[in-house]
Amino acid sequence: MTETRKVCIIGGNTTPFDYNNYHMTIEGMAANVMLETMDDLPEFNLRDIDFVIYSHFSVHFGKQLCPEWIIHDHLGLVGVPHFRVENGGNTGGSALYAAYSIVKSGIADVVPVIGWETMDNVSQSQGAEFIAIAADTRYELLVGGIYPIFYAAGALKWMKENKFKEEDFALIGMKNRNNAMDNPKAQWYRNEHKYLTVDDVMNSRLIAYPLKKYDCCLMSRGLAIVLVCSEEYAKKVAKDSGYITIDGAGLSSCTIRAGDRTSFPGWNERYGKGYPDLTEFAACRNAAERCFKQAGIPWKDSYKYIDVAEIHDAFSSSEAQIYKALGWADENNIAEFVRNRETFMGGSIPTNPGGGLMGYGHPVGATGLMSTVEVFYQLTGKIPEKHLSKKSEVPDARVGLVNSHAGTGTSISNFILRTAEGGR
Amino acid sequence: MTNKKNLNLHETTSPPKMKIVKEFRDENTKEVGFKFVDYYISEDKTLFQAHLHYDQLYTVRSAELSPYALGLLEGKIMGTKCPKCGDVFFPPRVNCWNLDCKLTKTEWIELPQTGKVHTYTIAGWSGRSSLKRLPFVLAYVILDGVTTAVANEIREINPWNAEFNMLVKVKFVPKEQRVGAITDFYFVPADDWKPSPMNPEKERIKKLCEPVYKWVASLK
Repeated sequence: MTETRKVCIIGGNTTPFDYNNYHMTIEGMAANVMLETMDDLPEFNLRDIDFVIYSHFSVHFGKQLCPEWIIHDHLGLVGVPHFRVENGGNTGGSALYAAYSIVKSGIADVVPVIGWETMDNVSQSQGAEFIAIAADTRYELLVGGIYPIFYAAGALKWMKENKFKEEDFALIGMKNRNNAMDNPKAQWYRNEHKYLTVDDVMNSRLIAYPLKKYDCCLMSRGLAIVLVCSEEYAKKVAKDSGYITIDGAGLSSCTIRAGDRTSFPGWNERYGKGYPDLTEFAACRNAAERCFKQAGIPWKDSYKYIDVAEIHDAFSSSEAQIYKALGWADENNIAEFVRNRETFMGGSIPTNPGGGLMGYGHPVGATGLMSTVEVFYQLTGKIPEKHLSKKSEVPDARVGLVNSHAGTGTSISNFILRTAEGGR
Repeated sequence: MTNKKNLNLHETTSPPKMKIVKEFRDENTKEVGFKFVDYYISEDKTLFQAHLHYDQLYTVRSAELSPYALGLLEGKIMGTKCPKCGDVFFPPRVNCWNLDCKLTKTEWIELPQTGKVHTYTIAGWSGRSSLKRLPFVLAYVILDGVTTAVANEIREINPWNAEFNMLVKVKFVPKEQRVGAITDFYFVPADDWKPSPMNPEKERIKKLCEPVYKWVASLK
């Protein structure tokens, strides 16, 4: 690939994430988050925006097609080109990928990515079913499957193959919710608001074995914005506030039906027969390999080159499966890697210090952007200002990873972000 | 114009003369368009909210996948096979997935109604349509001779007794209840299958299921 210009992130924030306790329209949420971002970046002007990417998963929740048109008008951006990206749980990551591509190619310079979901418009069980419409409805939805069930079916086999225990998953569920206790915008902090033990996770109600309630993410209402731009613009408006560069971006796909991963020709060719099966995330590995290569990081043991990660912990099990797909451990040492608490605060790669989907929340279209915002805070020294304390700060972090994940691993993106020179 | 014969495109009767064969909508199946059913005002009189009802019937055209649906009505599992590479698909794919086969049109074949559990879970919560069936075993089963796995429920088993690689067979719901969808059948343990003795993991799962049974019994 020919050398093209650098793409930067100069700002971003989220609304509080919540369920039922936060009354705010989508345009009200967008205005609030844009105001907070403008306050962080006094030299950024709405008039500088030359493209907007909207990130929203399911119009079922709002009974409104093209809801992004409502937000766009409300922000006063008539004439500015826009479109919406919809790509399941990886909507946020895919929207970021679109903004990155547009800036990288030189089509535009200042591109906010605005993502949201309003999942508390329907009941929890209806919400779970709305999301499961992204599974092949003709076969999987009808037999009673919702995503926690599909994931659990993969996780149970994975657990046996990797010598994992239920308690190992519970450790991850505990970590992310407890991390969220330092984050005032996190749903776990705002609603349940308590520290958990492994026993609490083990004793929570069965969702689908081996997953219990506290192994699963939260359904949320919320919105997030990430401000993507050219390096030239970043130097102009964010020299004082700090900014980061997108040094690697990888996006990959896998099958919609997990049952088709037993022997897919495309994967057999790339990774050998039988991979990923229903247990591994081939799209995550593939996207990571591409992303890390751009950033000059090896796939194997990549955690040694990364200071902080915000990854798609839809389930405690999927967080562990993602570790493997990112090259952090293999079947011989993944259980040990988790038990050694390598991904806790103070470990070799703190993961989801912002709380992740289990602690911060999972308003689908906003989620990948929330992860990006959290890494942006970490890499620009803003955690003490944005969280409650330094407890959830990774000291002097300069390399961050964002992972966004859809379906049962059907679309996955990974990004390597680095603090820009003089950027913190 | 392109020569269709050489391309081997999917073709279905056109225009089709669709004839209603069976109707089983009940009095709850109504299309009323947008309809508000209530409203709320916060105690401090600053916030308003309301419930909107909107139901819709969808036409599900099985089209070139119709042999699958028609097979189910007859108690047959119809899958597809690529004549070039030999991969067998269930759920059916009407074109081969192998890039070297260049979207070769697959052929319909009747599949055996026996298979093996590839992986599974015990569901304790689900979507609105499935709550009353909880807890249930959802398994990915590879039918004999098929390349892919298919998700469906295993019934006639205590959930904690399900296991990897267990042999299962297809069981159809009674003919008059079939709707031409995947729920026309489910899996049951193979005839000579016996559950293994209880062990700590099975005890654990049994314990996790207990409150689910109670909760479901309390549902209206």
